[in-house]
Amino acid sequence: MGRKKSSAASGLAALFILSVVSVALFTVYVKEGDCTQEQDCGPLHTVQLGAAEVLQPARSVFATLFEPLQRANESVQGAFDNSEEKRLERKLQESQALGAQASRLERENARLRELLKGQRSTYEYGPLAQVVAPVGDQFTQRIVLNVGTEDGVEPNRPVVIGENTLVGRTTEVSKHTAQVMLITDRMFAAGVRIIPPAEFDPASGELSPAVTAENVSYGQGLLETNVEGYFGVDLVSLKARAEEGDFVVTSGRAGDKELLFPPGLYVGKVEAVSSQDIEQFKKIVVDPAMNPQDLEEVRVIVDWAGWEG
Amino acid sequence: MEQASVIRAAIVIALAALLDAVVVPYLTFGFFSPRLTLIAVVFAVAPLRDLQAVLLGFFGGILLDALGSDLFGVGALGGLLAAMLASRASAVRRRGSERILLAQVIGLAVAGYDLLGYSARWLAGLGVPQLGEYAVGGMLPDAVINALLAFLIGGWLLNVVNINPPTAGKSNYSI
Repeated sequence: MGRKKSSAASGLAALFILSVVSVALFTVYVKEGDCTQEQDCGPLHTVQLGAAEVLQPARSVFATLFEPLQRANESVQGAFDNSEEKRLERKLQESQALGAQASRLERENARLRELLKGQRSTYEYGPLAQVVAPVGDQFTQRIVLNVGTEDGVEPNRPVVIGENTLVGRTTEVSKHTAQVMLITDRMFAAGVRIIPPAEFDPASGELSPAVTAENVSYGQGLLETNVEGYFGVDLVSLKARAEEGDFVVTSGRAGDKELLFPPGLYVGKVEAVSSQDIEQFKKIVVDPAMNPQDLEEVRVIVDWAGWEG
Repeated sequence: MEQASVIRAAIVIALAALLDAVVVPYLTFGFFSPRLTLIAVVFAVAPLRDLQAVLLGFFGGILLDALGSDLFGVGALGGLLAAMLASRASAVRRRGSERILLAQVIGLAVAGYDLLGYSARWLAGLGVPQLGEYAVGGMLPDAVINALLAFLIGGWLLNVVNINPPTAGKSNYSI
């Protein structure tokens, strides 16, 4: 009996001490360097980076194992959602029509690329990176790539699919892995401009003058997941132009702050626009061009013209 | 009479933390994700003494923090909370009703852990949804589904942690 009481007392004491230790660890973690700069990586972040490095092979294995499951999950969702099926059928018909046009354009594109060789490379890409695994919890949307500092990847670099479709940005980077915060993560934010379809071609990768020109009436704002939970552009003036179907691209501008993203990275399409007189800004919902489930190979933009980082 | 093995409990918790870091990200749907470490902590420490329970809860939480990429310290607090609740529940449990009781403890521990995570993110200045929305659409289903999951695998976990001592001996010491 006495032993039981002493165990309960020592248990309570240990609970109190370890709770204080846990709160102290939390405080240190929040205050210490978060590895976004090379020499500013605190011990607790270093521990997590080390663990990510060690777990990478296991994560790769599970990524392969879970691929059929994820596909099955998508199929099941599709089977229950008739509207999705109809939308896909429509898309298929459109795709078939576009297929013929694409092959003609491909030939023309190849010819034009030859002509422009050496003049278009505004971005410098890192090596092609495989998406190893998703990480994080219910509040975050992050992935891990199999490239790291040894491949020239650093924190706070844009990650794209294709040439210019923005996926997110790198956060914590170790020797062989890089964590990427996806654009749909609640902490992600980027300065964007809303461009009419006639002014921008997301497939070409060309930097349209409409993206960089000053004094235009196109909507500009902050791309983020709003407090209300929708992915959209905030702080767009009521007077600015923004319509359904417009393209959302990074503006490369952040006031007087250092540029975090180059201009012209394609984010997605405007899905809905609404504005009320009592509000100061438009409410703009964006349909992102990337789907986190489909990410397999991406590239990190390691440098670009105008970057002074 | 069965005894609990501290070493087995520690191994079960460590394996659960490893699975939490590697597999669980694939099983996260919206605000729900299986809290394998918390489930392991509750079932593994329930038969142990208070001090052992608290230490193992902290061990599991720290492992969860170190192997994951979330805010450090939240897992440790969650592990402590789960261990404390399991330890208190074990004082009132009756033979045969362990699973159902500990599944309820899991529900409480998961809700507490979710609230801790939410508060920590808010304190750290990170993005969080509105509390009401999160409580109804996130914490509640997360707690209920994890409790159900715990009920399903709890019997097996209890069997793994408990060992049968030699019948001749009456030692109270656990390995």
